[in-house]
Amino acid sequence: MTGRQSIHPDAPAVIEARDLKTQFQGRTGIFSALAGVKPPSARALDGVDLRIREREIVGLVGESGCGKSTLGMTLVRMYQPTAGQILYRDEDITKAEGRRLKAYRHSAQIIFQDPYSSLNPRLTIGQVIEEPLIIHGIGNAAERREKVIRALELVRIPAGENIDRYPSDLSGGQRQRVAIARALVLEPKFIVADEPVSMLDVSIQASVLELLDELSRDLGLAVLYISHDIATVGYICNHVAVMYLGRIVEEGRAEDILTRPLHPYTQRLMDAIPRMTPGDSPDRIELRGDVPSPMAVPPGCRFSSRCPFATALCEAIEPALSDQTDGQRVRCHIYDDRASRAHPSLLAPKAGHITEVAEAGTLAEAVEGGRW
Amino acid sequence: MKQAQTNAPAAIRGRSAWSAAWESWRQVMQDSFAVVGVAILLIFVVIALTAPYLAPFDPFKAMMTETGRLARLRPPSGEHLLGTTAFGNDVLSQFLHGFRVALLVGLVAAIAVGFISTLFGVLSGYFGGWVDDVLMRITDVALSIPTLPFSIVAVALLGPSIENIILVITVLFWRNGARIIRSAVLTERERVYVKWARAAGASHFHIIMRHILPNIIRVVFLWVTMSVAFAVLTEASLSFLGLGDPTVISWGQMLNTAFSSGNLRTAWWWVVPPSVALVMLVSALYLIGRAYEEQTNPRLRRR
Amino acid sequence: MVAVAPPRSGHRPASPATLAELERLTDRLSRKPAAHLQVESLSIGYSTLRGRFHAVEDISFEVPAGTNLGLVGESGCGKSTVVKTLMGLQPESTEVSGRALLDGRNILGLDENALRDFRWKRISLITQSAMNSLDPVYCIGDQISEAILAHEPVSKATAWARAEQMFALVGLPAGRLYEFPHMFSGGMRQRAVIAMALALNAGLLLADEPTTALDPIMQSQIMTRIRGIHAHMRCSMILVTHDIAVVAETCENIVVMYAGKVAESGPTADVLERPLHPYTMGLKNAFPRLPIRGEPRQPLISIPGVVPNLLLPPPGCRFASRCPFATEVCHSVTPPVVQVGVQRAACHHTDRAAEFRLAAARPDTWRNMRGAA
Repeated sequence: MTGRQSIHPDAPAVIEARDLKTQFQGRTGIFSALAGVKPPSARALDGVDLRIREREIVGLVGESGCGKSTLGMTLVRMYQPTAGQILYRDEDITKAEGRRLKAYRHSAQIIFQDPYSSLNPRLTIGQVIEEPLIIHGIGNAAERREKVIRALELVRIPAGENIDRYPSDLSGGQRQRVAIARALVLEPKFIVADEPVSMLDVSIQASVLELLDELSRDLGLAVLYISHDIATVGYICNHVAVMYLGRIVEEGRAEDILTRPLHPYTQRLMDAIPRMTPGDSPDRIELRGDVPSPMAVPPGCRFSSRCPFATALCEAIEPALSDQTDGQRVRCHIYDDRASRAHPSLLAPKAGHITEVAEAGTLAEAVEGGRW
Repeated sequence: MKQAQTNAPAAIRGRSAWSAAWESWRQVMQDSFAVVGVAILLIFVVIALTAPYLAPFDPFKAMMTETGRLARLRPPSGEHLLGTTAFGNDVLSQFLHGFRVALLVGLVAAIAVGFISTLFGVLSGYFGGWVDDVLMRITDVALSIPTLPFSIVAVALLGPSIENIILVITVLFWRNGARIIRSAVLTERERVYVKWARAAGASHFHIIMRHILPNIIRVVFLWVTMSVAFAVLTEASLSFLGLGDPTVISWGQMLNTAFSSGNLRTAWWWVVPPSVALVMLVSALYLIGRAYEEQTNPRLRRR
Repeated sequence: MVAVAPPRSGHRPASPATLAELERLTDRLSRKPAAHLQVESLSIGYSTLRGRFHAVEDISFEVPAGTNLGLVGESGCGKSTVVKTLMGLQPESTEVSGRALLDGRNILGLDENALRDFRWKRISLITQSAMNSLDPVYCIGDQISEAILAHEPVSKATAWARAEQMFALVGLPAGRLYEFPHMFSGGMRQRAVIAMALALNAGLLLADEPTTALDPIMQSQIMTRIRGIHAHMRCSMILVTHDIAVVAETCENIVVMYAGKVAESGPTADVLERPLHPYTMGLKNAFPRLPIRGEPRQPLISIPGVVPNLLLPPPGCRFASRCPFATEVCHSVTPPVVQVGVQRAACHHTDRAAEFRLAAARPDTWRNMRGAA
């Protein structure tokens, strides 16, 4: 597991999102509805394009609250998108209901973060994995048992001794494997893995990542791997997309994104990762403030309120995704002069030119010379 | 657990409802207070079942002395182990028949309460949204009914019969149960495996039967146990107020007659047995309920 | 807790008298020396329904004055238990043996009064869940100045001014002292807790997973602050974490714990560069790293098996069942603590560490264990 090559760009997509938007509407009471008050809406997902092909693992990274889990949940139709399209093998399933939705649920599965609460403690491992087969009415009892055993073999859990055990008898890593087996038993084509290893001990994370990697290769799965642990993404993903406030701000080959990030946000994200070898640690520029609320998205570039290079142009015009070398795409005015040519009166940002860092200086000033 | 429970050797097996119930029974019985409660309850049930054979006299029959006068207010003696009432009835026989009424009312009302509360709680907690709004507003209205005036008026209007008393108790106690069960369902609904089951395409019925109900059944059982106690107490109160079914003998009615005939202070043999039995029955149920609750909610468990 | 009743709006400059008192307080606190902590054969036992077990068994380490120590290990290895016990926060039935000498005085088994006196003043704690260490019904400023007033004979205004100073240090605006914990975001709350822990310039700072629940960016900001503060305030620190990279960036010394025992300890750079204990090697190679352009990357390994049940600890080395290099002796004899240069490791085969290190970098070495385990 040392990293993956890109999938050929012309390979057909298993799943594709086109300008996908998911908004969460606050709930209205009877009286405010009568008074015509519209509840605030959170733009959790605000226009995302993404393609995942067969045998491809796409990594989705970003801070918590950036909308990466919303994207995963929307792609498996757990959230109903507000606008845009979801295509599964070129079939529009954005608004599918009833039998078509159930058929889609058969082919798209999700794995959640918490291996401790994702398995019903009252069911045996066998029952847990058998459940999707029952839901979709597949096979008789004996056939189902066979499929369950095969799924357990795929995730390398000895079926014989574990099929009648309860989740509480297993370790965190084993439970996560059972969750993966449960997702695999329906032989899906697309899996969303939402932080599958972030609650596991470091010493066993690799085995679960490795499993995802192998399954995607051997079964031809398309996988969306969601994680805030950027370093893990480099090991299993072909392609990485970085999200900020409901939008993809940068995407490209995993190696490029991790070693040569272009967007100021991606750069901060990479800098933030602690390095194990002394001397590797980069100089870190502290970002201003917190991530803005998705209920009050700043105009212009979404990152402009925290970006150390932001200028008037950034605060006024939102940059489009621009193509860079090797298929890397970035949403930043620094790499795209279309907007600055259209608006010559506004100051354009330049790479490495720090415009205003309100808080970055405070630490140095505060501790310099002072006794504490 | 009805899936794949065929006898085919290759089928996947899980824990049956019976073994789960047995397991939880065993755990409850580790609590010595609960053992006492269960013992009392067992004795009460046996007495209730055999009351007609145990009772030495017809509870309504007026006892006569040799001189042909009414045997009024006789203290306990060899003939009347618990004495007689102001109307010459044998207290022991009345007391023994009281077990039947108490347990019948308690059991039937509690089962009805349990059923309605579970239905309301599960539907409203699981579906949320407008279903929740409608069902919970109904519950709120029900909660605003004042207990005592409502039961007095309802029984007075419907007529004092065991059925009507059970009906009134059901109407009064399902509402709190619905709220408690709803909050348990709300917790269960947010479990990751429920989210996952929805993502896998499971129907609501499947999710409720497989994931929600088995996990809240303890809460339901606890509420049913408590409801038995509430029902017994309410029946006693109503009977004490003179709204009991005149065709049967209940402990509340015994106390009522003792009180209204002005003998509450003097005829201790008439007053003490039903009072003690009531306290014992209700305490036994609470002891079982408490042990069960401790087991359901491990945080209450003593270290 | 008595509310300090600060002015309820905005930031108001302090009076000259307050400033003078603050100056004296700062002066006094800044002369507090960093603490030296020596932990000697500390064992911490619990009784549970299923029997007694030792969450921590016979561990020793030292925090020289003014240095940082990283205490790393996976969930359940006992690292948080150590911190709780040092703060005197262990549950009542806990059995503690051994000594923990803070500047020469044993702080284990102190009574409530003595504990109250030395908490915050001599040792302070930054916990993982900031929400639990802040009282939701008092504003943050009240809570910090309350802690100061409990230990220093100063006026309320001075305590408040000191709280403002601390807020500036962690990068929070002074005006937010009037706010309540729920009005803060997770990262800000964590910074407020750090401000509180620093307010009395305790000689020893215990940081128990201070950034675990936070975003990478917030995590890096907080760790940068903690490092900056540590450099300028004279204090020693124990940083408890599962993230060895954070330790690599922050701490001079490292203690690697496994199943309640110390596997390896020594200067961080040496331990991570040349680990002696196979567990340290595994942990290091299991840790995901960013790729470096043009360099082939070492594959990620995973350590098979599970941590042994501490109720029935296996004889011999506790890591033996998961160790690819374990021999007969490892399964039967408790390994001695071996000093190699500046490092110490509890392993029978420290002499073969160089050979192990090469093998431990290959995933196959660990994967082949699976059949055996």
